[in-house]
Amino acid sequence: MSVCRPFFTGHLDLEALFPFPSMSPEESETLEILRDSLERFGKERVDSRRIDAEARLPREVLDGLAELGVFGIIVPAEYDGAGASMMFYAKAFETLARIDGSIVVTVGAHESIGLKGILQFGTEEQKRRFLPPLARGEQLAAFALTEPTSGSDAASIRTRATWSEERGAWILDGTKIWITNGGIAEVFTVFAQTAVEREGKTVDRITAFIVPRSLEGVSSGPEEHKLGIRGSSTTEVHFEGVVVPPDLVLGEVGGGFKVAMEVLNSGRLGLAAGCVGGMKQLLAEATSYALERRQFGRPIAEFELIQKKLAGMALEIYGAESIVYLTTGLVDRGAADYSLESAICKVKASEGVWRVVNEALQIAGGMGYMQEYPYERYLRDARINLIFEGTNEILRLYTALSGLEAPGEQLKAVARALRDPIKQLGLLTGYARGRARRAIHRPDLPDLDPAVAEIARPLPVWVAEFAGAVEWALRRHGGEIVERQIALERLAEAAGDLFLMAAVVSRAEEGRRAEPGPGGEAHVTRARLIVNEAWRRVRRQLGRLREYPDNDLRVVAAEVLASSGAYLPGRRPAE
Amino acid sequence: MKIVVCIKQVPERDARLRIASDGKSVDTAGVATEINESDQYALEAGLRVAEKVGGEVVALLLGPDAAEEAIRRALAMGAARAIHLNDAGFQGGDASSAAKALAAAVRQESPDLVLTGLQSDDAGWSQTGVILAQLLGWPSATLIMEIEQPEDGRIKVKRELEAGWFQWITLPLPAVLTIQSGIYPVRYATLKGIMGAKKKEMKKMGPADVGVDGGQVGAAGRKVELKRLYVPEKTAEAEILEGDAATAAASLVDRLQKEAKVL
Repeated sequence: MSVCRPFFTGHLDLEALFPFPSMSPEESETLEILRDSLERFGKERVDSRRIDAEARLPREVLDGLAELGVFGIIVPAEYDGAGASMMFYAKAFETLARIDGSIVVTVGAHESIGLKGILQFGTEEQKRRFLPPLARGEQLAAFALTEPTSGSDAASIRTRATWSEERGAWILDGTKIWITNGGIAEVFTVFAQTAVEREGKTVDRITAFIVPRSLEGVSSGPEEHKLGIRGSSTTEVHFEGVVVPPDLVLGEVGGGFKVAMEVLNSGRLGLAAGCVGGMKQLLAEATSYALERRQFGRPIAEFELIQKKLAGMALEIYGAESIVYLTTGLVDRGAADYSLESAICKVKASEGVWRVVNEALQIAGGMGYMQEYPYERYLRDARINLIFEGTNEILRLYTALSGLEAPGEQLKAVARALRDPIKQLGLLTGYARGRARRAIHRPDLPDLDPAVAEIARPLPVWVAEFAGAVEWALRRHGGEIVERQIALERLAEAAGDLFLMAAVVSRAEEGRRAEPGPGGEAHVTRARLIVNEAWRRVRRQLGRLREYPDNDLRVVAAEVLASSGAYLPGRRPAE
Repeated sequence: MKIVVCIKQVPERDARLRIASDGKSVDTAGVATEINESDQYALEAGLRVAEKVGGEVVALLLGPDAAEEAIRRALAMGAARAIHLNDAGFQGGDASSAAKALAAAVRQESPDLVLTGLQSDDAGWSQTGVILAQLLGWPSATLIMEIEQPEDGRIKVKRELEAGWFQWITLPLPAVLTIQSGIYPVRYATLKGIMGAKKKEMKKMGPADVGVDGGQVGAAGRKVELKRLYVPEKTAEAEILEGDAATAAASLVDRLQKEAKVL
């Protein structure tokens, strides 16, 4: 069950797409009450300006959040959490994001990724031991993967755990950097190289460990000075000869890369939900500003260019919400693989909030630039979302390469390369050209409300076109495709927009069904506007893919590099 | 100690309200609701007393099905159980008919203390609590700012009077107190509390269940009839005070004292 993967072979998984998911009435009511508590807590107890200025979250705020129960939303009740669905978590996370950027990042580092590994891969004993205090917020968790020489290339970490027969334990050495909650967490999910036997040879593979701060040799560095989310804790974490007992191995020895990737998959979904919450807050504030601020004798909200901005923000929210909720629904229905969806959610929502914060600040004009207003802080806080938990560039490459696996499988020559693209990078040449082109049929849509069916028409057309372009790209580039990042980015963009189209169509159908009249009509209007833009972007990306103007871009880049950063050949940099 | 707290569900503070087509009520479709503000403080006060001396807080609400959400909120905040006076026969009443229904339910519970908010944010009669006390034949006090720990069947409370004056009085229990807003920080409904509330008892009762004559409650029992509900009309009126600054200021003070009566 997957929405995005079938696009690459020209299919629509209708079971994954319809009906648009919703929460149980019981969870909705719980959320409604929790949201009120969180909003009131935000108003009464959280001073974001001070958190930003002092670059720390006051203890009372963390204690208050713990009391409210936000540190254990996703943890099952038997380990003292609330055992909520992914959709509930996403929506609660939205509300936290509306309160404060530093708070949402702290909670996310704890719950979306810090304790997630224990939840997904921990043994019963590990869960019993670690989860209850984490769920109650008495202890915080952190996820420690990144190192000075290992950012996007996560497989290249140097932190090492060596098995000591003598001590019957792992000895952990290494340094992690930019660890969110690094200064305040009590429990770390740490990734380290370990020597394992594979086909008779000893090789390095990553293993995940649960490392409590209380172990001898664990320490954290001073707080980093950051652009935004300044109240969240970000530090180096050092492991010096830390004796880690074997019962703290998380998952299998040598299976740590999988742990990291799975955890980040769900983490990205939470992050995307946070971005959605941020966008909602920005739209609310920009709207009230536009209604109050008067120029030329009337509120600026009466001018079309301001209205266009507000409408654009509303569409960003509707679109991002649709893909995020559709994906959380997949998770709650037990879908095994939602990695493409969560990667696209993260990319789209983080870039959405960046555009929205930019527009909100623009509506506020000069006021928006001043520190008396919160927009500059929102802008600084929002920026990290395009970087952490996988840069948007890496996630686009991931989306395309992972999506290409299935069609690549049919073209055996590239299958192996695609399965391990990073390792095979640059090693691939040639590939059987000229095979008979497979006929790609337009997939069918189910019977939809007439208004929605009209909007949905471009979807099957462009899914088929996309699959054709995928096959073309594989034929054109063969295994070299892994190096053609600009082409991969175009495929990822197109896949993302197909996902967006599919999600808003599904949601409009549900909106139309659940709310006859103006309520449903509002869904249809939004879906129409979004689909109309999205299919044109898909057309453009696929057109560019074949025309390949990207070669010229590469020529310009080569000239820039050859002249150490001059914009024209023969000039000096900065001339 | 058993404490009954009467709560009411009202439209949220900044909700945009429309008058319904009958011209006598508010169209509640799609309007977010909350527990009436001073009732939230009554609940908080009740929970504090119960935490100090032991005992339970019972939330009592008169309202339609949709008011269940307010009950869930009260249970999530810490009420042990709830009684929902929910019947067509209770609808369309006024303060006195509401008080009759509440009094019947309170008699069945025979608590030591009844707390209500001092007034509702929607109707704003400020009557229900005191009529309730009268019907029960219990002592009552209004505008309560502070409650001391009950001792020997008596309770000492601080009342807010006019112009910054306060009054401490002691009442024998059982008693009815109407609580002022803003007296304590109201606790948050936590995720644990909200989920725990789903397991708590919520008893739905009609007039017969509480032993009250149907003719006494709801529309049948009301003494006040609402004739018309309307939004104040906006009118623009301005008066320019003539003369120099001193003359204009003197004239302004005079008008504020005699006409507007705000000084």
